[in-house]
Amino acid sequence: MTTPLTDAETLRAWLKSYISAVLDLEADTVSTAVPFDSYGLDSVEAVIMAGVMEEEFSIRIDPTMVFEDPSIDGLVKALQGAGLVR
Amino acid sequence: MSAETPRLTTPQASIVVICYEMARALPRTLLSLSPQYQRDCPPGMIEVIVIDNGSRDPPRAEDFAHLGLDLRVVHWPPGDKSPVKALNHGLRLARAPLICAWIDGARMASPGLVSASIAAARLHPRPVVATPNYHIGHETQIALALKGHDEAAEDRLLDSIGWPANPERLFEISTAVWRSGESERMLETNALFMTRAMWDEFGGYDERFTSAGGGAANCDIFLRACEAEGTQLIRIRGEATFHQVHGGTTSNAGESGLDVGMAISREYYRLRRKPIVGVRSPGWIFDSGTGALV
Repeated sequence: MTTPLTDAETLRAWLKSYISAVLDLEADTVSTAVPFDSYGLDSVEAVIMAGVMEEEFSIRIDPTMVFEDPSIDGLVKALQGAGLVR
Repeated sequence: MSAETPRLTTPQASIVVICYEMARALPRTLLSLSPQYQRDCPPGMIEVIVIDNGSRDPPRAEDFAHLGLDLRVVHWPPGDKSPVKALNHGLRLARAPLICAWIDGARMASPGLVSASIAAARLHPRPVVATPNYHIGHETQIALALKGHDEAAEDRLLDSIGWPANPERLFEISTAVWRSGESERMLETNALFMTRAMWDEFGGYDERFTSAGGGAANCDIFLRACEAEGTQLIRIRGEATFHQVHGGTTSNAGESGLDVGMAISREYYRLRRKPIVGVRSPGWIFDSGTGALV
């Protein structure tokens, strides 16, 4: 396993920024704790987001991670557990 | 009409259909585009150009002579898992001033799709005419694949509505996919009608999309067209395309569907440096039933 390049806070901030941009929301209104679909990010968009994350952070994500706990905090935690995020 | 028959009249629209190993699905798709199936679409109104992207046993135009289509079948050389180059070749061959790209030959048309799309395209000088994508089945075929849904199950569904005698009933056994609702941000359409001038202006499909099935190429051309200056998205209400089970790259990918979706996203992001985001404008709605904008 390679050393994770990204820390959890950076990824959390990136996810908030990404979701707010894609859904035309104010970043402050995007909660990291609530499910993605509570602010309108559906499963297709979540998959697209995961693909963009892979490119941005040079990681490979098991796509099931996006759906096991489908929230920003849940995804960050899953990626930390997989050693992909510090 | 065979591939060799001279063509003396110009059709109102050309439909370019891509297929690869679709011996079961393509005949149904072509039937769904034929004069006997489409309303208000007499022989000669459209031409259909099938580009076979390297199938081992490719289709032949004479096999579909009974359909009464102005049909040409072109055999593209094998070896390219993306249909994009083959599709662009078909777009170049098209003779009509209005051209529809039908990137997946496993999708059947609803019976008013052609005439409604042609009528809608007349309403704007730079129209981007789109119909929603459906999967045959009561869930998406990605989900159904995990439950063992197969061609036999699909045949039973079609039999249950008396298809092809009652083609409008396809909606009863199908599921809208990929943000196809009128209030949703549309991502793509399998029946994309634009003028010849627009296809030329946009350079057709971007051949850098080399993924199997074309990846996000279909989203890309649709989104580029909608974002281009002076164009008008027109969504067709009451018509759709219906995806048949055929072992396709994305819709029938089953458990690997998520991986395929992420790969599509990665490729798009590498090429465009932005995520795939559906069209924000709802566009115009053209009601196929009334033949007018809503």
